[in-house]
Amino acid sequence: MALILIIIVPLLAALATLTVRRNLFSIQLIALVVLPAEVGAVGLSVYRVYHQSRYECGAFLAVDALGIIFLLAVATVGCGVILYSIGYLQEEVRKQIIGFSRVKQYFILLHLFLMAMFIAIITTNPILMWIALEATTLATAFLISFYNKPTSMEAAWKYLIINSVGLLLGFFFGTLLYLSPLIGSHADVSVSWQMLLANASVFDPQILKIAFVFTLIGYGTKAGLVPMHTWLPDAHSKAPSPISALLSGGLLNVALLAILRLKIITDTAIGPSFSSGLLIFFGVASIMVSAFMMLQQKNYKRLFAYSSIEHIGIITLGFGFGGLGTFAALLHMIYHALTKSVLFLTAGNILLKCGSTKIARIKGAFSVLPVTGVILSLGFLAITGVPPFGLFITELYILAAGIKSNLMVVCLVLLMLALAFISFLRHTMKMCFGSPVEPTPRGELGKLVILAPIILLSILLLISIFLPSPLRALIESAASTIQR
Amino acid sequence: MTFITPQLLLVLTTTVFTSAILLHLTKKNSSAVFYYVIQSAAISSLLVIASFERISILLLISISATVAVKLFIAPFFFFRLIKRHQLKFTVSTYLNTPLSLAAIAVLIALVQADFIKPLLLLTTSGQTFILNLSLSTILISLFLIINRKGALSQMLGILSLENGIVSFALSAGLEQSPGLQLGITFNIFVWIIIATVFSSMIFRKFGSMDVTALNRLTE
Repeated sequence: MALILIIIVPLLAALATLTVRRNLFSIQLIALVVLPAEVGAVGLSVYRVYHQSRYECGAFLAVDALGIIFLLAVATVGCGVILYSIGYLQEEVRKQIIGFSRVKQYFILLHLFLMAMFIAIITTNPILMWIALEATTLATAFLISFYNKPTSMEAAWKYLIINSVGLLLGFFFGTLLYLSPLIGSHADVSVSWQMLLANASVFDPQILKIAFVFTLIGYGTKAGLVPMHTWLPDAHSKAPSPISALLSGGLLNVALLAILRLKIITDTAIGPSFSSGLLIFFGVASIMVSAFMMLQQKNYKRLFAYSSIEHIGIITLGFGFGGLGTFAALLHMIYHALTKSVLFLTAGNILLKCGSTKIARIKGAFSVLPVTGVILSLGFLAITGVPPFGLFITELYILAAGIKSNLMVVCLVLLMLALAFISFLRHTMKMCFGSPVEPTPRGELGKLVILAPIILLSILLLISIFLPSPLRALIESAASTIQR
Repeated sequence: MTFITPQLLLVLTTTVFTSAILLHLTKKNSSAVFYYVIQSAAISSLLVIASFERISILLLISISATVAVKLFIAPFFFFRLIKRHQLKFTVSTYLNTPLSLAAIAVLIALVQADFIKPLLLLTTSGQTFILNLSLSTILISLFLIINRKGALSQMLGILSLENGIVSFALSAGLEQSPGLQLGITFNIFVWIIIATVFSSMIFRKFGSMDVTALNRLTE
């Protein structure tokens, strides 16, 4: 029941928003009602998975430890984004950047986007997962082009075309080929991930290798892995900031889940070395390219977008190294989702206040936006892996997992992480200190746009210092599922 | 009883493959849409004939939806787009026609490569040639998306790629359950609408549908 609620709540919210006429408060109220409903449903699902290891609801919906970790991350970021969006769009309406109809369109698409991500995570069916992933593309395309400017249109078109091609390749190689041994005998029943896993031994190893390579290319496009990442900096920098937060903290992870589900089957059939090599390659490529790109960024939203590519690379590397790296990669995924959401939400505050995404135009964030400035600097410390934030320990674990088998890779990644740190430090210092470029009145924009990043940052800090034992147990269980 | 005989499969798959090549050769947008309709008609025929083997209400609905989207709705949107924006001629390409044909030849040769051969084991009809054609269609469609500068051509390339995948799936006996087929068709339907709306918006903002004009986002 809880799993159905997780899907139904955003669907009902989208439908209810659709019926609202010229009443901004009603739209905000609907969005606020979603929060406790989603928290309750996800909380109940976590409880069931923690106690029963798997929570099923009908033939098509089920969640295991691996799924619940992703669900938890997406739902947490999703709730933060909904809360923030209420304040953010209210401020945009006040500044006459957008009108009522745009707010309505935004919330309908936001709820549908969340629903599509939830379906992708909790469905047992690989094809339904693909359909849901494609639905996320369709829901977010209009959110990326939300401001109707030529640049946002360009970003949205690139996003639509590149992701559609990627997902079609993912569908063909990642889904159809994996289903090939089962289709004849199960034409009329639902083929599930579990069924695929149980039949892993009947796969042709050569077909499986081809399938996994193209799975990585296809779903890797959606996850933002280099070299299929080209849509990501454009889309993240042009979308409204809360949507950028959800793209980075939610969508990339959901695409990664598709890769992991197929990796588990591939590893069971042909052993882990084939997929590990590929994951390490794509992980290192993503870290290297993004580290160099971050150095030369002039736009802070693009900076955060490249940072997302870097961290998806680190997570992929962790899965490639295996062992302790798998546990650390899952934890890193959670920490990154929270941290990047905080950064994109603070970016939204800065953009609203200063009216520019150019780093050169933002100075003295501490004096203009004192609370946002502090959150931004804490977010910077978190994303670059400075203790006590959890990304420090997860990066350490991931590198430790690979130090024996891939010493050169670890050294190279360390160098790139140092480069990323320098880039971030340089840009953040410029933005936080000094006097504002233009005289700007001091003060925050509203309570909600501060509350949401503070809540997310608090959760991040809390689970960085003290990882609750149920969460640890779930991550350990998920890690063992990946490494079965 | 098998309704799709190897001969029929060969004829229809060849039609899909030939349409993909013609999509590369045509210089007019309306012709490109016409070739897409031909390709979709071949795919729809395959789907309809395949459905005779395990007929059900849901399957009929699913097939009808697929036929409606591929043969009627998509062309309707595309022709309306051409008419509204006077997009008679399109199709500037990155490579000229002889070079494009050479690239297509290389892609077809690539399908014969050793690393692709395991995929040909999936054939149900025993004719690996048919799967070869479907795989070639997939690669040629991918090349169409890359080689064309027009937004409409890119959209047709993606839909042709999807047709190639369906053709491969049917040739390899990888049909899906009707419910999921319906889901996929619905996705394609929404995709067509969104992509058409976007290309119209691009035309209004940039004054053309040439995607090389989309160059404002730089590092």
